[in-house]
Order: sequence, then structure tokens, then C-alpha cells
Amino acid sequence: MAPRRRAGARGGALRRRALGWLAGHDRARAWALLAPGTLWLVAFFLVPVGIMAAYSVMERGTYGGVVPDFTLAAYARFFDPLYLRILARTIWLAVLTTTLCLVIGYPMAWAIAGAGRWKHALLLLVVVPFWTSFLVRTYAIMFLLRDTGLVNSALLSLGVIDTPLTLLFTPGAVLAGLVYGYLPFMILPIYASLDKLDPALLEAAESLGARPAARFLRVALPLSLPGVVAGSLLVFVPSLGAFLTPDLLGGARQVMIGNLVQQQFGAARDWPFGAAASFVLMGVVLAAVYAFLRRGAALPEEV
Amino acid sequence: MTAPSTPPPAVRFAAVRKRYGDTVAVDGVSFDVARGEFFSILGPSGCGKSTTLRLLAGFERPDEGEIHLNGDRIDGRRPWERPLAMVFQSYALFPHLSVERNVAFGLERRKLPRTEIETRVRRALELVRLDPGAFGRRSPRHLSGGQRQRVALARALVLEPPVLLLDEPLGALDQKLRKEMQVELRALNRQLGITFVYVTHDQEEALAMSDRVAVMTDGRLAQVGTPVEVYERPRTAFVAGFLGEANLLAGDDGARLAVRPEWMEILRPDTPLSSGAVARAGEVRDVVYLGERARAVVRLESGEDVVVALPPRSAAGGRGGWRPGDRAVVAWRPGDARALEEEP
Repeated sequence: MAPRRRAGARGGALRRRALGWLAGHDRARAWALLAPGTLWLVAFFLVPVGIMAAYSVMERGTYGGVVPDFTLAAYARFFDPLYLRILARTIWLAVLTTTLCLVIGYPMAWAIAGAGRWKHALLLLVVVPFWTSFLVRTYAIMFLLRDTGLVNSALLSLGVIDTPLTLLFTPGAVLAGLVYGYLPFMILPIYASLDKLDPALLEAAESLGARPAARFLRVALPLSLPGVVAGSLLVFVPSLGAFLTPDLLGGARQVMIGNLVQQQFGAARDWPFGAAASFVLMGVVLAAVYAFLRRGAALPEEV
Repeated sequence: MTAPSTPPPAVRFAAVRKRYGDTVAVDGVSFDVARGEFFSILGPSGCGKSTTLRLLAGFERPDEGEIHLNGDRIDGRRPWERPLAMVFQSYALFPHLSVERNVAFGLERRKLPRTEIETRVRRALELVRLDPGAFGRRSPRHLSGGQRQRVALARALVLEPPVLLLDEPLGALDQKLRKEMQVELRALNRQLGITFVYVTHDQEEALAMSDRVAVMTDGRLAQVGTPVEVYERPRTAFVAGFLGEANLLAGDDGARLAVRPEWMEILRPDTPLSSGAVARAGEVRDVVYLGERARAVVRLESGEDVVVALPPRSAAGGRGGWRPGDRAVVAWRPGDARALEEEP
């Protein structure tokens, strides 16, 4: 036992020396803290994305998979008007979703920030939907909107309509589902920036002659723009890539780019095209994020 | 005063009350502020002085009473409808706007022509001794406390308001800067003829700057008067104690008396008294040296402790100085003992 104990003691001394060395070396310590997350992201993000990038410039295999020959055919195929229309519809739906979330979410964030002792309870209500699966919640919307769903049966029994309205599998249903799903991501960052807003600034604006509209447009809104930019990104980016909501609420006719990608890797067995479509989507996202952040960085410093 | 030719006061509070739930923050306060006057509301925190200013600014509505500005009743008007400007304790500068745009904010709300706005902004910055060229385009975030203070002042003064409200504006500045700003604020008040309503908890500040001081406690005005009046003739024990130091003594007739330390004399037991002086014997318990002044704490034979002013040098030790344990006689002129009113 004696040698082992000595080895243990030596190990402890080594560990102490290593920790002491780390404590003295800021850069080494930073790397040590970053390493686990970096490894994770390299293994499960960078490597898969690299594989996708490689697949997107290869030939499709007959039964799925890829044949390792270089070609840009998959990207060329994307410029078919059919797919460009899907891309345009995707961007349009994401823009609409973001706008609606902003229009609905900003006043809610404002009200919550001003709710005093109720504020934390209201915030909790905003995040309560996350306690159950998004899939389950989307199915629940289907039950609400379908021909024999709650909305139609209520309207029918009230005699407002004679035949059921087509609510499900429409662009409106997809939009409603997306707005519902992403609204909390708009409310939370806007709330955070409004909550930090010093009430004395609003009073200062009033005492300088600003009516409520000017008080809002000149003081409250510009100071909450960082929250608006963050919220818009958090809604816009996942809306662009959404596939579950358009699949369940939009059906076969309301395809978004996320569904296209899913189909290529699934039923269509065209991996290169699926990979190319997802890179086009990533390009759109990066361009949008860049534009948003530039605007977000420029505005609060307005001079 | 009531002659028709006399202009109405700049500010009039008439029996104003403001309640928050069960607490009465402002309890039937009435006062007039003359045009051009530097009027301070002085009191400890929670006395209702800030609420009084907020009622005047329009951020709060009174439950009872009336508020008038230059003869117009304003207590029903919203803040942006009142011809007032305010300097906030935290300065409340807009962090997303440059110094220039901060100062221009009120003028822009009044839809003045751009060239006039620019001229007036420049003049206002010069008035508070900030170089418009050097500071105009800076962000308030990159200014020192004293510079922010000046921007806040310029932003209010640029509107040329008949009445300027100031809510403890010097509280965040260091001692030296505070003294400088006191002199400057007083000068601006005289030079511009604008009525200043100034809220502070600092009695020295109030005495140094004001034409008149309103001493406030528990939502009521304990006394309103010139600095000399409120200091020399305090009406209540609260006023006597809040402004400077005061010894509260029981008079012969049972009335409470206030005598300030510097109105008292401390003498060796065998010193002859000046005629008519009141004298009480006691023992020195403590001697405090404060630089420009000094204090001795004397326990009288009646058991009361009084604080007496000393020449600073006689507290600094050495020959002839006072030491704890010395027998002493404390004397004052009867006329200097102020009879106090009972507090409501």
C-alpha cells in the first residue's frame, strides 16, 4: 500500500502544481474553461456542417447517399423557379412572423415591465408553454383549427356559418402557429431592455414637453432597440428554418425551405440537393443576422 | 400683497395633500414662491419634499388642494402641459442622444425652427460653461458627474422656463464641486430671473443658496423663512435640531428653550459674569476639535448635557485649553434662548 500512497501523494502534488500554474496563466485558464464547449461544438456542429458542405457538392446516389464526384448541380437546381418560390415564401413568412411577434410582443413586454409586483408571475406565464413539447402544442392547434375542430364547431352551433371554414393547411394557419411558437422569444428580450429603462428618463421627457407619443418614439423605443433587435433575431432565424409548423399546420401545399430539406433527406433521397438547400438557407440567415446586428449596433449610439 | 396690480406668485401651494394608501406623504402644505425667488424645501429623507416637487412637476396628482403657477391653476394639467423644467437627482440624461440632442430635446418638442434650436442650444451650453464645440457631439455616457450635471441644467434652462425645479441636483457631486455649483446656481438664478424651487436634505446648501427655506417634516412645513430667520429663530425643536446644532433646555416656566452652541460661553467657575447672563455650572465631559470650530460637551448639575462652542485653539490641547473633567460654567444671554412651540 505504501508505494501507492506515495504515488497518490505525488499525483496530488502534481494536480496542485497544475492548478497553481493555471491560476497564474490567464490565457491557459481561459482555454481550459473554453475547451469542453469547443470540443462539443467541433464534434457536433462543425464536423456535421463540414460533412453537409461536402455532400452539397457531390453527385446523388441512386438509393440515397452520395457519390464522391464534384459537381455544383445541386446548387444550380435550386435556381429553379419552383424552389426560388419556396425560398421567397419562407422569407416572407419569417418576415411576417417577426413583424407580428413584434407588434403583439412589444406591448406585452411593456405591460409586464410596468406590472410592479405582478411582473414575475406574468413572466412565468410567458414561459409556461415551454413546459410541454412544441409538437404536442402544435397538434393542439390542429385540433383547434380543423374542419371538425373547436372553432368550426362553435361557429356552426352558433349559426354563424353553414359549412366549416377551411382554417387548417392554409398560410394563415402556418403564420398563426409560427407567431404562437416564437412569441416568447420576442417578449423576453424586449422585457429585459424595458425593465432596465430608468423611469426618470420618461419623466424627464414629459417635463421637457414630450407627449406620450413623443415620449415613446424618442426615448422608450430607441432605448429598447437592443431588445427589439435580439427578439427579432430570435424569432426570424428559427422561423426561416421551421419545418414542424408548416408540416403540421400547412400540409403539402405550404412548403417552407425546412420541409424541402427534410424531404430531400427523407422520401426524395437527394442528399446533395438537401444539403445545398440548407446551405442556401444558412446564407440567408447569415445575411439577415449581419444586417440586423449592423442596424442594432448603429442605433443606440445615434448622434 | 392683495392689491390687483401685484403679480401673482410664481408658485402657490394651497392646502395640498397627497396620500399613498395609508401614508400621508404631503399633509396640507401651503406656501407661495415669489417670482425670481430661490426657494428651498429642506428636510430629511421621507419628509415629503420630493413628493412636493413631483406634485409641482405633475408626476403626481394631489388628492386635495390647489397648485398654481403664475396665477394659473395647474394641478389638473399633465407634466408636458406645465411650463416648468426640472433637473433630476440622477440627471436623467438620454443615453442614446448626444449632449446637443439632449439639450435640444425640449425645443424640438416645441417644433421650433432648426436654426433657432441650434443657436439656443449653443447659448445654453455656454451658459453652464460647457464648450459646445468640445462637448456638443459627445455622448453623456462619456462625461464626468459634474459635466452631466451641467448638461442637465442646460437642458432645462434652454426652455427659459418661468420656474425651474431642482431635485437634490448636487447630491452626487464631491464636496468641492458642490460648493462651486452652489455659487453658480445662485448666480444663474439672479442672472436669468428664473424662479428656482430647490429640494435638498443638506441644510448648509439650503442656507447658502436660498432666499427662503421651507423646513419640512412628516409631510408638513415646520417653518418657512429666510435662512437667517429659520436658523436664528427656529420655531420648533425639529427646526432647531435639523438646521445646525441646538441645545434643548427646560426653561423656568416649563417652556422648552433652544440655545445654539455658538450663542453660549464656557467659563472657568470663578470668572465674573456679564450682567443679566444666565449661568449654569457643570463639568466638561468631552472636547471635540473640528478644525475651523470646536465643541465642548458639558454635563450641567441638572443632569442635562449641553454642547458649547469653543475657540478651536482652546480645544487643541496646550496651556489654558479645556479638558474633560474641568469644572465649568456655561452662560448665555436670556434673549438668545428661543422659546419653542409645541410640534403638532
